[in-house]
Amino acid sequence: MRGICTIAWRDFRALTFNSLFFILAGICAFIWTVWYGTFLKDFIKKSQQMMMMQQHDMNLHQVFSMHISTVNLILLFIIPAITMKLFSEEKRANTMDLLLTSPINATQIVLGKFIAGTAAAWVLVGVSFMYPLVTSFYGEVSWGPLFSTYVGLMLLVASYVAIGMFASSLTSSVFLAVIIGVLFNLIFWFVGAGAEIAEDPSWVAVFEHLSLGEHFFKNFAKGIVKITSIVFFLSVIGLNCFLTQRVVESNRWR
Amino acid sequence: MIEVRELTKNYGPHKAIDRLSFSVKKGEVVGFLGPNGAGKSTTMKIITGYMAPSSGSVMVAGYDVFENPIEVKEKIGYLPEFPPVYGDMFVRDYLKFVANLKKVPRDQIQSNVDRAIEKTNLKGVADRLIQNLSKGFRQRVGIAQAIVSNPEILILDEPTVGLDPKQVSEIRNLIQELAGHHTIILSTHILSEVQATCQRIIIINNGRIVAEDTLAGLSQRMQGGYHIHVKVKRPSDQVLSMVKNIVGVVGVSKGQELGAIEIDATNMECFEKISAAIVNEGVGLTEFRANNLNLEDIFIKLTSDSSQGARA
Repeated sequence: MRGICTIAWRDFRALTFNSLFFILAGICAFIWTVWYGTFLKDFIKKSQQMMMMQQHDMNLHQVFSMHISTVNLILLFIIPAITMKLFSEEKRANTMDLLLTSPINATQIVLGKFIAGTAAAWVLVGVSFMYPLVTSFYGEVSWGPLFSTYVGLMLLVASYVAIGMFASSLTSSVFLAVIIGVLFNLIFWFVGAGAEIAEDPSWVAVFEHLSLGEHFFKNFAKGIVKITSIVFFLSVIGLNCFLTQRVVESNRWR
Repeated sequence: MIEVRELTKNYGPHKAIDRLSFSVKKGEVVGFLGPNGAGKSTTMKIITGYMAPSSGSVMVAGYDVFENPIEVKEKIGYLPEFPPVYGDMFVRDYLKFVANLKKVPRDQIQSNVDRAIEKTNLKGVADRLIQNLSKGFRQRVGIAQAIVSNPEILILDEPTVGLDPKQVSEIRNLIQELAGHHTIILSTHILSEVQATCQRIIIINNGRIVAEDTLAGLSQRMQGGYHIHVKVKRPSDQVLSMVKNIVGVVGVSKGQELGAIEIDATNMECFEKISAAIVNEGVGLTEFRANNLNLEDIFIKLTSDSSQGARA
């Protein structure tokens, strides 16, 4: 346990206390701010029209849903750029030698790094939460669906971290790690597209179940927390941590 | 303390080390000597548990490295070829991190870090970022991280590479200082370093041990254990043939300078006879200097011999 904490704390500091992280966070905040502003303006315009037509089915959650999809879109690309350092940097700087000759096993190394990466990514999730939070001062917010959306987002982001960490363990080049990470993330997204192409309903079900997007946008983002979706995210995380552990362990045999 | 048996490591078809066996007793300082690519680093990596061998076993303090890696790694401080330092950390924070990683009890971390900083003379840079340090300082940080957990066994892969002469002698002093309390294996291809610090020397070449002995033992074991340099005023061939016939002399040749004679001898007893023979001949002895064969000679002889043997 101490080994995991030691690695997690060091890596968390290494990931977040540097200029790259602040630049990435700045990019995120900039894009989200621009988009969130347009979403809000649209919402106000529409709700004024609705008011005139005496209809009241507008809900701020529609703004949040759009915000969340942009948050997801940006994090899909940003998180591999954060997790790239987890293993690639260690290999490049030869510090992997230190970890592998310390009295800790590969599982502890991987878990420590996963925790550090997830914590760093959740900082960005926290940044994205500022927008709904500030909006709540000025309007009626239904906290239930927002809460479930953020639970889902945290799980989703943790999956990206696990995937990015695995990508990072495969290479000592940080650029390659980012590219592989983004690619893997996209694969998990576009598996869902298979559901639209497939004709056999059982295959459609398989593709739907394998897609990160299906679980996130069809369940969590709509205020539905399903055990199957939670299990799905946990298994994506588990699988990638396991694969990373195998890669780290295989260093010994080369 | 360390038992290495029949250790073999293949990199594909290439054998990095080939059935290596040796043992190191508690408190011993053993020097690993060999040309580049002889298998020194590979052997050390296997002992530290970083790497698995293709076959063979390593026992450290009674534990098998591959069955109980955690127990073994707790006992070992390792300085790899390239110091494993994080550029974005402060020296002191880095050493604390390593101490935590090596499971040093929490209440001892501060004192261990201070001790390591003091022993490696890092006080002046303890609060600087490692990436801003010169190569020599990074190397010293590497040594500091190896000793910060106060391990029973120290494995140092070329500890003085990249240091200036003053630092080199400091590190040698440090190693001698540590020698009593720790078992140390260090690798190097700088011969004077082993001569200065090691009690026992293991010379490896092409993945095999070609010699394993104390420094004195090694010199003695070599045929022609002494080398005598003689200079005379009036050189003659007769002197050469006379010296050649003395018991204990194995080789006589003319030196490069005028009047110089180089003699290889196996024992000290023949010195007297050689000098007497030259003086009696009346050629005018001006210089008589006897040297122990130094480690460099032994090293070159051993490593070139065995590479010929490997080719044959």
